[in-house]
Amino acid sequence: MNVLAIETATPACALGLRTSDGIEVGWVVDDERHHTEALTSSISRLLSESGLHVRDVDRIVVDRGPGLFTGLRVGLATALGLSQGAGCALVGVTSLELLAHGAREYGTRGTLVCAVDGRRGEVFVQTFRLDEVVTALTEPSVARPRDVVIEWATKGAPVSFTGDGVERYLRDFAAVPNGKVDHQLVPSIAAALAIGSTRETVLLVEPMYLREADAVANFSTRQRS
Amino acid sequence: MTLALAIETSCDDTAAAVVDSQLHVHSSVIESSIDQHRAFGGVVPELAGRAHLTTIGPVVRRALENADLDPHRPAIDVVAVTSGPGLIGSLLIGLSAAKAYALAWEVPFVGVNHLEGHLFAPLLERPDLRWPLVTLLVSGGHSMIVLQHGPGRHEVLGETIDDAAGEAYDKVARWLGLAYPGGPEIDRLAAQGTPGALKLPVSMTGDNFDFSFSGLKTAVVRATEKNPDVALADVAASFQAAVAEQLLRKLRRTLETHSDVEGVALAGGVAANSALRRGVEALASDFGVVSLLPSLAMCTDNAAMIAAAGIYRFEHDGPSDLTLSACPNWALADVL
Ligand SMILES: [Zn+2]
Repeated sequence: MNVLAIETATPACALGLRTSDGIEVGWVVDDERHHTEALTSSISRLLSESGLHVRDVDRIVVDRGPGLFTGLRVGLATALGLSQGAGCALVGVTSLELLAHGAREYGTRGTLVCAVDGRRGEVFVQTFRLDEVVTALTEPSVARPRDVVIEWATKGAPVSFTGDGVERYLRDFAAVPNGKVDHQLVPSIAAALAIGSTRETVLLVEPMYLREADAVANFSTRQRS
Repeated sequence: MTLALAIETSCDDTAAAVVDSQLHVHSSVIESSIDQHRAFGGVVPELAGRAHLTTIGPVVRRALENADLDPHRPAIDVVAVTSGPGLIGSLLIGLSAAKAYALAWEVPFVGVNHLEGHLFAPLLERPDLRWPLVTLLVSGGHSMIVLQHGPGRHEVLGETIDDAAGEAYDKVARWLGLAYPGGPEIDRLAAQGTPGALKLPVSMTGDNFDFSFSGLKTAVVRATEKNPDVALADVAASFQAAVAEQLLRKLRRTLETHSDVEGVALAGGVAANSALRRGVEALASDFGVVSLLPSLAMCTDNAAMIAAAGIYRFEHDGPSDLTLSACPNWALADVL
């Protein structure tokens, strides 16, 4: 099975390819948020270097967020066009679970809090337990980093933190006495390939925004007041 | 013969169409997210972006199906897509999807200027038209007079120096407490009012072909405050007449100074306006030239016009590179 993975929900734009010959390639294409310029041309190059066409790809795995809205949509629109155009299957993964699986690959065990930078002083967070497998303990949500830090410092239980949301507020997260920081900026593309090869395919990958559009949020606040 | 699939997502409409190089429209599909924006009195970019992502797959599939093409192996020769001007977040979805379809089908793709698309709209309905042609392009985002020497050969003679005509409609509609979008509402009301009822200045911006509409909104506010008893329909009719008069005076001036012109065309969303359509017809008969009033579907944003412009650009300038970026402020004058 040939699997192509696309990650554009964070400032990095990453691609992965696992071929039926067992060859696995991971590329970080761009880290300056020029996702649209870089993405399709890089996919074209990645496939042709492996002697493949889009129609040879059996599955496309795409990061559906949470993360940067525009980048996320560029990735999803690209995955949609490729899969609908060539008739290949789609699998959606979240940036938070990719971070969790990536951390487990690097040897992290126990409780892990993954945090993706959500801008505007907030992070997208989810807590996992890592042992033989990765198990989600909470649903993905939006939080202020300080609240996450206080919650875990109060609990006092051993915990690891990872993701670009942790790097952004490193001073806060590093101050949790019972905590440890796993430096990992980019959601693992290897994890995307691994999850994507086994997870059930879907007809449509729904983006995970976790936040309504600004205007809608402001508007409903105005309506209430 | 070249067969193109075109995608248009520059504002709130998600559109796809299949058109051939004879400018025969095989299919044209449009989904609007306008209902989601109404409450906010204008297009909310983030909402538009979200809607495009949900809609684009089904819209493209329907465009292919309606053209009797196999969705996985369609006999498409080129994918055309609006790459500017427009809302960046909206443009990026169409552009990303278009590149992906092109890559999946192993065909070239071409980025199209949205305004040039509007200029091609009359050709889709009147393949017999003769050049040169003067086009009044008026929409929510743009107001300009363009001299076309032939398809794809255009010269911007004048533009708005502040608000677009459609923008003025929306602002005045908001002031009058009418629903968004303002154009159709004012047009509907104006039909029952008297144009001269409210005295409004017609801004002339000097001896060139440029427009100005920002003063007109202020004038409407002042005049209605001074005459609070004037009927809404009369305000609408007076405003609409003032907009049309400014546009038509400049159009008349263009026809006076360019005597070789064979026809005068209307394009863009505001081209659906009845006062403007009547005015252009009268002007054309005054000058003995052909008037080209596209159907309402062809005035507003659609992908068929993007396909027409895309085929022209593809055949004359070749395909775009897959690294093409969206260009939210791409001026018509900067098109090759
Ligand atoms: Zn338009």
